[in-house]
Amino acid sequence: MQAPAQQCTVAIRGRPGRSFVVIALAVACLVGCDGRDSSTPEATTASDIKVFRYSMGGAPTSLDPVQTRSVYANFVVVNAFDTLYSYKYLARPYRLKPNLATELPEISEDKLTYTIRLKPGVHFIDDPAFPDGIGREVTAADFVYSIKRHFDPAMRPQGAWLWQGRIAGLNEWKAAGSDYAEAAEGLQALDRYTVQIRLTRPYPQLVYTLAMGYSALVPREAVESYGREFAIRPVGSGPFKILSFNTAKVVFARNPRFRSEPVDIWYEGYDPPTQSFTGVERIDGRAPPFLDRLEIDFIPEGSARWSSFTKGDEIQYAGLPDEQVDLVLESKDPVTLKDEYARKYHMRTGLEAGFVFTSFNMMFEEFGYNPDSRRERRNRLLRCAVRKGFDWSQRNESFYMGIARVFPGVIPPAVPEFNADMSDDSIRYDPEGARQLLAEGGWTPENLPVLIYGTVSSVKSRLFYEQFRAWMKIIGYPPEKIVLKRYATFGDITRAWSRSELPFNGKGWLLDFPDAENTLQLFYGPNGSPGSNDANYSNPEYDALYERASVMLPSPERTAIYRRMNQILIDDCITISGMSRVQIMLWHKNIIAMPDSSIVGGFFLRYVDVDTGDPGQAETLE
Amino acid sequence: MSNGVADLTANGSELDSSVFGDSLWGKAFLKFRRDRAGMWSLAVVTAYALIALGVWTGVWGTSWADVSGAKWAPISAEHWLGTNIIGQDIFERAVFSTKTAFEVGLVVAVLATVLGAVLGAMAGFFSGSWIDEIIIWLMGVLDSIPFYLLVAAIAFSLEGNPYAMHIAMISTFWIGTSRLVRGEVIKLKSLDFVEAARATGVNQLTIIFRHILPNTFHILLVQATITFVAAIKSEVILSFLGIGVQDGISWGLMIAESTFEVLAGFFNNFLAASVLMFGLVMAFNMFSDALQDALDPRTVSG
Repeated sequence: MQAPAQQCTVAIRGRPGRSFVVIALAVACLVGCDGRDSSTPEATTASDIKVFRYSMGGAPTSLDPVQTRSVYANFVVVNAFDTLYSYKYLARPYRLKPNLATELPEISEDKLTYTIRLKPGVHFIDDPAFPDGIGREVTAADFVYSIKRHFDPAMRPQGAWLWQGRIAGLNEWKAAGSDYAEAAEGLQALDRYTVQIRLTRPYPQLVYTLAMGYSALVPREAVESYGREFAIRPVGSGPFKILSFNTAKVVFARNPRFRSEPVDIWYEGYDPPTQSFTGVERIDGRAPPFLDRLEIDFIPEGSARWSSFTKGDEIQYAGLPDEQVDLVLESKDPVTLKDEYARKYHMRTGLEAGFVFTSFNMMFEEFGYNPDSRRERRNRLLRCAVRKGFDWSQRNESFYMGIARVFPGVIPPAVPEFNADMSDDSIRYDPEGARQLLAEGGWTPENLPVLIYGTVSSVKSRLFYEQFRAWMKIIGYPPEKIVLKRYATFGDITRAWSRSELPFNGKGWLLDFPDAENTLQLFYGPNGSPGSNDANYSNPEYDALYERASVMLPSPERTAIYRRMNQILIDDCITISGMSRVQIMLWHKNIIAMPDSSIVGGFFLRYVDVDTGDPGQAETLE
Repeated sequence: MSNGVADLTANGSELDSSVFGDSLWGKAFLKFRRDRAGMWSLAVVTAYALIALGVWTGVWGTSWADVSGAKWAPISAEHWLGTNIIGQDIFERAVFSTKTAFEVGLVVAVLATVLGAVLGAMAGFFSGSWIDEIIIWLMGVLDSIPFYLLVAAIAFSLEGNPYAMHIAMISTFWIGTSRLVRGEVIKLKSLDFVEAARATGVNQLTIIFRHILPNTFHILLVQATITFVAAIKSEVILSFLGIGVQDGISWGLMIAESTFEVLAGFFNNFLAASVLMFGLVMAFNMFSDALQDALDPRTVSG
């Protein structure tokens, strides 16, 4: 799941020539509506209404599940739509559990056929797209339709890479014109509540993909009724229904028809020594969602988010911005709050299930593959030199409080395949070594190629760029050859990545599931642009290893293959990687929650409750 | 020696009168020289201009982009105003930003004034005709759009163009000048010297640009200084909003950086940019006022 390497600015951008109209309309829109529905004043003031105001650093550009490429979109989408599987709320390491499915899938002995049964009696929210406006029952056919959409170019899908070449017949179905009346061989609704998936080869991560927003179930009536507007008018069967959505905020109300499934906190993985401070035992035995209203504010600047968080009556959840560390924390290792903050807020901290990294786009002949083999060898030396000139330690100190974890390669500490004993050569700052590599490759300030550095339009992103440019100057790369190209929104730059428009892609990646396959696939040849491999790396040895490991269950042998692939990436200097950030999450003490912005992601919001201080509530809870 | 100086001073105004004559410009010069605030402001503006010139010629401010210190290093002999979050020298950046301000100010002031003068003169000379109506309509349309919205729209439309901000400002700042020039030209075109030119067969464009427009220079000069200040302020705001300076550094970008630094108790970026910007804007405003007073035909002839 793509995430920005830093906070990004939310803005509106259009193509040249159209921008003026777009901006004028956007301003008119912003003036005309503030993102609240007409019930806002009552909702925010009435004491019997439970409201939770969450915050995120970026905004989704679409709420259509087929377009949930960004972490922000995925976070929001799983609250409006249902997926077959989700993650246990409190279990760490993360563990899958059935959501819309009745149980984990039945898997055939050859590991190629998955049979999944859906819960009966689940309904979509009421919406004018349905006959009489009454939401109909969710069926297996909805799942089949929802996955097929990823293979229909008209839907502008972004998630096909998850199932491409793995679910039998989907590629052929697409090649035949994406006709929904035609069946796809490996994706069938056996009856009203039973789905059968047939794979071309074993795919141990399949169930994980069915817990991602990409696989959420949508009703065909609504998709066809709203067309592209479906991106802002979601109709799902999730715990919440969306009241309004714009670039500043999304507002949900409880879905009154959401199925009643009381929480068993022990089943969810409750660990009293580490989690009792959150008060989550108070939701045991009660059926979520507990909130009447959920608001997610998209606030790009950390300082603005913090300011809103500490006001007391605005957002109730925020990450700790870097600039507040010295004021808020008593110590960084271990992370503890000063008394004045510990009295007011709950805190949870931990390494993110993901990492930030910057890859070269190998499609650019200046840095990557080149018809001239000699030049290609020189390009490798250039990439390695840039990597040696990258000062992770300073990046960590400047922007991540100095407590993020830098590691070699693309297998982050959050997955079991991580190798703590790996050589740190590839992450060691070595400007002298970089200069030597440049000299070895015959690179001089005059013949070094122009490097377009794409980034979103925000202050912090600009500082990232300036810092990188300064490092490059130290190794002899002329500053005027490191050119900034800014994109108004995170959505804009993700489009640029997927269209292979940039030679140098700096981003964050939050794991979709706790398996190194999810990061290694970022460099698998067939996933090239517009797929997830926007480095467009294509190495037969790497691809063969990936294909070999992709059908294997977790084992020491598979781990060894993963680590070999990691080493290949390091040796080829494809990416400057990586760093897992420490997340410091804070929330108001009247909020009963165990926030998680990584694997569990938006799934946790249905379990959030608000302590209204009402003795009656306590009695009810007991 | 001291007597000599005293004599020279005592006879200064007499000498000035003889040197500069009785022309409007001569009298204005003398009046400006007597304006102490005006002279001080001119000195300050000149000092800023010299700083900008030094940056432009590479004498100083050359390492504004280098990472030369620790994060948020305090004021020291090495870093006179400390460093920012990535260890860049704030003094160097503030000094370099002076060049950015002058560059934007000069380009926008000159081009907006020229555009305003030409279109204003055309509208004034052909007042009542379709040319006048088109120009007035254009001014009305541009005036009716909120300034920052228009600038943002143009800047976004020309994304990637390093001069998007300049174009945006020029396309709006010419209007004020144009309105003033139009009024002045309507007044001038009925005077005898214009009638005389017409009577001798001089063509209309020559009359406009050689006979009438030079007589509006006192307006253009004042307008140029006002536009200069407005351009600097707008550049700071636009850069703060992320749609201004694309490559380089400016006071607006420094203030934008400081938005998350001040919360951490680090004010150097904010103070450096604000104080330098305040100094230049204040000085230029005072200079502009003094110039306006000096060139005012109602008082200069007195």
